[in-house]
Amino acid sequence: MEKRQSLTGRLAALDSSIREEDVLLPLPHLLSAEIGRESVDGIAALLKERTVVFVNGEKQLDIPNEEIEEFVFRMGIGCVFADCRLKNGEHRILARADMKYKDLYAAALKQMSRYLKGEKIRYDYEEDLDRVCPKCGRPFRPGATFCDHCVDKRKYLARLWEIAKPYRFYIYASVFLYIFIAIVNLVPPYLNRILVDEYIQAETKPLWQQFLLVILSILGVNLITRLLSMVRSLTLIEAGNNVVVKLREMVFGKIQMLSISRISKRTAGELINRVSSDTSTVQQFLTRELGTTVEQLITFLAVSVILFVYDWKLALLILLPMPVVMFLHRRFWRYTHRRYNRQWTLNAKANTVLHDIFSGIRVVKAFGMEKREEARYDEIIAAERDTSISNERFWALLFPPLNFLMGIGEFFLLYYVGSRILGGEMTLGEMSQFSAYVSIIYGPLRWMSNIPRMLVRVMTSIVKIFDVVDENIDVSDAENAKELDIRGDITFENVSFGYDNTANVLKNINLEIHPGDFIGIVGKSGVGKSTLINLVMRLYDVDEGSIKIDGTDLREISQNSLRSQIGVVLQETFLFAGTVYDNIAYAKPDATRDEVMNAAKIAGAHPFIMKLPDAYNTKVGENGHTLSGGERQRVAIARALLHDPRILILDEATASLDTETEKQIQDSLQKLTADRTTLAIAHRLSTLRNATKILVLDKGTVAEMGTHEELMKKQGIYFGLVMAQRQMSRMSPKNTANTEENTSAS
Amino acid sequence: MSDTRTALRDVVSIVYITPENAAIGEKNNFLTLSLKTRNESGEEETKEYDRVFLHRAFPFDHPEAYISVQDADKNEIGMIADLSVFPEDTVVLLRRELARKYYAPQLSAIISLRDRYGYAYCTAASDAGEITFTLRDAARSILKVDEHRVVITDIDGNRYEIPDIEKLDRKSFKKIELYL
Repeated sequence: MEKRQSLTGRLAALDSSIREEDVLLPLPHLLSAEIGRESVDGIAALLKERTVVFVNGEKQLDIPNEEIEEFVFRMGIGCVFADCRLKNGEHRILARADMKYKDLYAAALKQMSRYLKGEKIRYDYEEDLDRVCPKCGRPFRPGATFCDHCVDKRKYLARLWEIAKPYRFYIYASVFLYIFIAIVNLVPPYLNRILVDEYIQAETKPLWQQFLLVILSILGVNLITRLLSMVRSLTLIEAGNNVVVKLREMVFGKIQMLSISRISKRTAGELINRVSSDTSTVQQFLTRELGTTVEQLITFLAVSVILFVYDWKLALLILLPMPVVMFLHRRFWRYTHRRYNRQWTLNAKANTVLHDIFSGIRVVKAFGMEKREEARYDEIIAAERDTSISNERFWALLFPPLNFLMGIGEFFLLYYVGSRILGGEMTLGEMSQFSAYVSIIYGPLRWMSNIPRMLVRVMTSIVKIFDVVDENIDVSDAENAKELDIRGDITFENVSFGYDNTANVLKNINLEIHPGDFIGIVGKSGVGKSTLINLVMRLYDVDEGSIKIDGTDLREISQNSLRSQIGVVLQETFLFAGTVYDNIAYAKPDATRDEVMNAAKIAGAHPFIMKLPDAYNTKVGENGHTLSGGERQRVAIARALLHDPRILILDEATASLDTETEKQIQDSLQKLTADRTTLAIAHRLSTLRNATKILVLDKGTVAEMGTHEELMKKQGIYFGLVMAQRQMSRMSPKNTANTEENTSAS
Repeated sequence: MSDTRTALRDVVSIVYITPENAAIGEKNNFLTLSLKTRNESGEEETKEYDRVFLHRAFPFDHPEAYISVQDADKNEIGMIADLSVFPEDTVVLLRRELARKYYAPQLSAIISLRDRYGYAYCTAASDAGEITFTLRDAARSILKVDEHRVVITDIDGNRYEIPDIEKLDRKSFKKIELYL
């Protein structure tokens, strides 16, 4: 991305009337504003007095700033626009570029609009955008903590080694044992030779005692390797399990500390992979693959030396074709990998289809689509079968000849050794020893051709793990964060917030809320209601302005102290696997049975829980007893009430309840909320009948605020919502009792 | 029987924008629309829009049909069922507006495609020259939208299109085949 200074310099060179100090904010303009596919070399810039656009060296637009109302960021599909709206109502396109420039355009245009309003331009957004690798100069991909191109593998391995520090003894021990066993394994072929040459084929009558000694030695060596293998397994188990637990704790702990905005960038599946499978891959590497690699290398070196010392011509005969064999092996592996990958993809697809059909089985049956789904599944498994047959055939036809070719060296060996035995230069025992070593050396060679693949796999896992571990914590506790005993005053001062740079969800919100207030928040979907309460819980930090609780900025209160005094019932009520009791006591595990039952009673959950056969001990969550939407919501309300919160947040908390139950819960809630602060979002206006104040959000701003009566008098948005609700209930007289309350405000 | 039934289209209907009821023009580089409609009392009236936006309803299946015409707040004014029924000069305007909103370089060859630590790095030849881009999870970013066409979405949200996968050279095809 071209730097601001460079753009400014180019601009001044293009037009001598532009002085560099007058250029406030230049933007690269890379795609034609007229012809969709054409690339251009342009610059759009906000100067002190006017806004100009140059395309391919020619000035295209020159608008005095006093004629501009605001600068507007606009998204295309695969491209972004910088527009401006003039005071006469007309629009102009200033610049267009591909999506790489999305964040730059969005942030810069925001600053340009600030300038029009007489505020100072801030350039601090550039720090976030201008993230390039200090080594290679390539831009970082979004959210990355390292440059993929020059990531130092040794650095990561060193960090991993640091983590394994307490268990290094076990790792050293196992590597040592791998080496030791590898060497001991070279002894039996030697003993075998002695056995054959000096006893079985002996020309003089051998001594039984010595013969027995050789046999016992073979037995002893075997016994030693078995015993050492057992010790090795034990050290591996110790090191492996401890390292993987430590890694998992690290990754999991870090994920828990990240803010919702960071976490939601990744899918749940991705996070599960980081915590479980990537750490297992590293465990495998540290405990098995690392040791085996050392073992195989030692074996290879030792056997090579033995072979060369014994007969260098023979050794060359065996080792020379090796590079060719390894090369063939690799090529062959790549090719088969490609084929099996296809089969694997098809298999995954078939499973997805199955999962899809079974989870939507009610829809399939309701629409009578069983036959079509059957056909869909048949088609995909037929494709899988064809690929599988083709792969098996390929395997069956190609593998034996290939094995033959790879083993052809052994036939040469046989000829060479055989002719030497016939010539009397070699004994039978020597031949058996030799063949044993030759067969041993094939193992390390095969293993070595796998090393690159293994390294790539483990490095991928290590890098991915550290990618999470190194992520910046964006919502963090201040250094001396306060533990606050919350009274319940909430103040919003000029709060603006957007989930990304491109648009502000909340704009310049000012609010004052006091203990005892029951604030009802209404407005269309997507207007920022949930965002507002997310900010109170500090799931995100505000972009501009501040939120204060009892006069203290949220960012100065410890998150733990804040959240322990807020009770939340969210739109999606999530029950963890466990009992009803566990779920209610979730935020206060030391709660007494009476406390839990009281909370359940206020939430209207007690009656239905007592109708369950196992009452509070009923298992819920995955594979447990399925509660209805309304029942789950009541459990969630009880959970929020249990720790006696000073601030209660209800996001559509009673939306799935029937009106009668809702009224009951509200009446009991009202007694409770008298000296607390309550924020409640509702589409059903009846939910807010107890509200002391109603807050109407529209397009990210507070459009109206006041009591029900005040807002009705005002005849604004709220009035419109209430009227729409009344009209709806009139339309269906039969269901008045239900629909009057059920009207959606959207 | 059939005449007593209420069809979906009797309840709500899409306003179609046709050469008969609408005039599409250009002002300051933007599309304008004047549309003849009937108001609630059945009288004919003409509505003027200074700047309208286009949005494809089926961007992959029908890039030149079912095009929604929207105002600045993304409210639909009406829908163009088929671009080709309009006069030539209007079609030029509409196509220009679509090409401006939907930007996707067409790839003619894949020069390299390498997976690295869960991200794939691609260099390709396109009608916008040689380009390099990064994909997060290649298998999910490379999407076959129909028999021939492949759409690739990179980490920034840029789109790239391969109009006919069969027409790619063998080497390019082999590189991308794994992810299809």
